[in-house]
Amino acid sequence: MPLGPGRVGRVGVIGHPVAKTAVVAKAVTPGPAPVAKTAVVAAAVTPGRAGRRRI
Amino acid sequence: MTDITTELLNQDRDLDSLGPVDYIVVEFPAGASNFTGEMAEELVALVDAGTIRVIDILILTKNEDGTVEAMELSEIEELGPLRAIEAQLAELLAEEDVANLAAAMDPGSTAGVVIWENLWAAPFGSAARRSGGQLLATGRIPIQAIIASIEADEAHSTEGD
Repeated sequence: MPLGPGRVGRVGVIGHPVAKTAVVAKAVTPGPAPVAKTAVVAAAVTPGRAGRRRI
Repeated sequence: MTDITTELLNQDRDLDSLGPVDYIVVEFPAGASNFTGEMAEELVALVDAGTIRVIDILILTKNEDGTVEAMELSEIEELGPLRAIEAQLAELLAEEDVANLAAAMDPGSTAGVVIWENLWAAPFGSAARRSGGQLLATGRIPIQAIIASIEADEAHSTEGD
């Protein structure tokens, strides 16, 4: 399966080996079911929600 | 496919009007893929809506011995709705990108690589530049990070009760 000719001999755009994203690792850790987590996230990004920012 | 320079700079567009370009590598572990065409339909829907422009797609396979094979979308016979996208692709990814993108793949898995321009963000980015703004940072917040933050916050609140 040869690559397209335009891909050969050019400088790449990615620049470094891609690491398996941490999202994958976190997603498989034990915890609340995805449905329950969805509700939590939805609440967190609801407009007007305030009061949980601590700096 | 078209030459990448031609593809990016023609169409009466200049570099300033390009939206940010993202990529994603979606891995399908051996024996776990379930290609129903749903992903292709969703991707085409985003293109048709003018939300994104797909720049490049590659299909990667990592063999059990660690070697990687790359397949162009044009090599797939049954493209279905992706046929319309394939005609507009540019070869942005270079040969050396294949190894970099496949580095995290598990042996025996297949991965789809998609590179796209966020058309929806281009006008805002151009306006920001015309206003003198400079991009300081960009990134993506994983949903899992939001969950972790909320859970930590709730645990903190509970401790204070």
